Amino acid sequence: MDVIANQLFAGLSMASILLMIALGLAIIYGAMGVINLAHGEFVMLGAYATWALQTFWGIGILPALPLVFLAVAVVGWVIEKAVVQKLYHRPLDTILATWGIGIILQQAVRLGIGAESRFVRGPDLLSGNTQIGPLIMSNYRMFVIVFSVAVLYGTWLLMTRTEFGMKLRAVIQNRGISECYGIEAKRIYSFTFAYGAGLAGVAGALITPLFSTIPTMGTGLVVDAFLVVIVGGLGSLIGAASAAVLIGEATALFSLVINDTLGRIAVLAGIILLIRFRPRGLFPTETRR
Amino acid sequence: MTSRFHYDLIALVIFAVVIAFGVPALMNYDGFELNTFARYLALAIVSAALALSWGTAGLLNLGQAATFGMGSYAMAMHLKLRASDGLPDFMGWNNVPELPLFWVPFESLAFTLLAGLLVPAFIGGLIAIFMFRARIAGVFVAIITLAFLVAFQLLVINQQGQTGGQNGLTGLAQLTLPGWTVDPYSMGFYYLVAGCLTVALAIGVYLTHSKFGLILRAIREDADRTRFFGYNVATYQTAIFCISAALAGWAGMLYTMVLEFASPTYMGVSFSLAIVIWCAVGGRESVIAAAFGAIVVNLLEGRLSDVFVEGWHLMLGVIFVLVVMFMPRGIYGLLTDIGARLRGPNRRQSPAKARPSPTQHLETGQEP
Repeated sequence: MDVIANQLFAGLSMASILLMIALGLAIIYGAMGVINLAHGEFVMLGAYATWALQTFWGIGILPALPLVFLAVAVVGWVIEKAVVQKLYHRPLDTILATWGIGIILQQAVRLGIGAESRFVRGPDLLSGNTQIGPLIMSNYRMFVIVFSVAVLYGTWLLMTRTEFGMKLRAVIQNRGISECYGIEAKRIYSFTFAYGAGLAGVAGALITPLFSTIPTMGTGLVVDAFLVVIVGGLGSLIGAASAAVLIGEATALFSLVINDTLGRIAVLAGIILLIRFRPRGLFPTETRR
Repeated sequence: MTSRFHYDLIALVIFAVVIAFGVPALMNYDGFELNTFARYLALAIVSAALALSWGTAGLLNLGQAATFGMGSYAMAMHLKLRASDGLPDFMGWNNVPELPLFWVPFESLAFTLLAGLLVPAFIGGLIAIFMFRARIAGVFVAIITLAFLVAFQLLVINQQGQTGGQNGLTGLAQLTLPGWTVDPYSMGFYYLVAGCLTVALAIGVYLTHSKFGLILRAIREDADRTRFFGYNVATYQTAIFCISAALAGWAGMLYTMVLEFASPTYMGVSFSLAIVIWCAVGGRESVIAAAFGAIVVNLLEGRLSDVFVEGWHLMLGVIFVLVVMFMPRGIYGLLTDIGARLRGPNRRQSPAKARPSPTQHLETGQEP
């Protein structure tokens, strides 16, 4: 029983990380139909930005979060303006172009900073564990779980309670008509992409104490995050959240029953089946394109 | 249609003559250089295979490396058995007491060659039936094949006792055909690979210009209308997926012979997307262009990495982004556009103007 409880917590922790990474991707994919394979590299940039802030200016992870968000959002904004905007009418080509951008970012970091692993210290405030009976939980992981839920709520507010969110939803539903009402779809897209990239940066900052920070860290993450988005359904926030929990917990429980790798294979097989029978995801949104 | 067929035939002949006579002369008949070039030629086959499914039928298969890896492991298993008396060395290290059952038939060369083609075709066919019966299209094909690739690579790495795990299969023997031990640094081997590539391209050109290819292109343009004409779309898609997988397996077998080892990195996401890059740079609408793209990119990669040890990957990324943005139909598209312009404005507009991208209609995932 203890083992299961601890494994459930591990699954939840993994789900929170997946959610943080997938949220940005879900918004970009849902709003613009762009499959951003450079998303993993945004996460990587966020991780390196945190490392740089901590090493050179002595800024801890928590105060660094807004700075990292802004920095990666700017990178995303520039990439959107320079490349992605030219490819809106060719959605499959965005896979290729963003993969190329990913290579460029990865190599730029490798050349500029080096290929060796970097370490970022977690915040002192959140070190240590909390123990409830047999269940041992790392404080930092608990913080990440709470933080990811907060970001999810914040994004939901942004989408439903602000003017920007309203315009974005209008553009998603029908770009042509929205433009007739004076909404600048291009601007909305740019901001959406920048926001998604910024979220990926924050995710990168949060996972630095848990993962090793290397230039190739993004490649594995982007596949997982993308599966979360597809399983959750096009552009659905609640879908992405439940898919993250589902995949995180399934991976954790499968690795308990069989081993880690076979557990992951089982989850991938499950995802393939799910896409086959529900290609629009668990929570499809009604959109007109 | 027939004139395009003639152009393709001429291109194929020129291509075959260049790789058969031009390249060895340029390389001074040097064994090492020719081995490197034979590697590019093997990769050209898998790039052409992707052009068949992606360019002709519009099915972006991000898992092409999985079928490539199956072929390369089939050949490696045969060569490993030839190199060891009884049990391969790595099985001993992993406490595998006797040869696993699925290794036994790879003692036979004929079985190995068949398996290298048919196992990828069979697995590819299973995935294809699974997807296309449900009318999965567009992005979802890419995602399912990608997820399959990741799962397959994990499985191969995980089963260390049977597959050599992360190390792959090393210490292979040289292939012995009746009366010929194939030395990968010999002229004979180069001609073997070049011959295979030419045959593979001939098959590809034939398929794209046959009625079968025409129907595939119709499916790419509008699957529903093709269905209304009474064609069974899923059957055609499955067929091209199988053929493409078999060609990829063929390429994998040659690749193992060139490098003299098989590694799970052949089934990695990076390698699989690299295949897509070659195909896109060359031009996905023509198998010859896709093969040419694979050779050019790998040649550039080889040369650039000599000069710029650190920065070549960066340049490759930049080149690729530029190609996707400004030459969406690759080198092939550039050539046909120039050709159309030379023939004058009175002639029919180039297909590029009429339809910006062959994949445009795939925007919505599942067909209604």
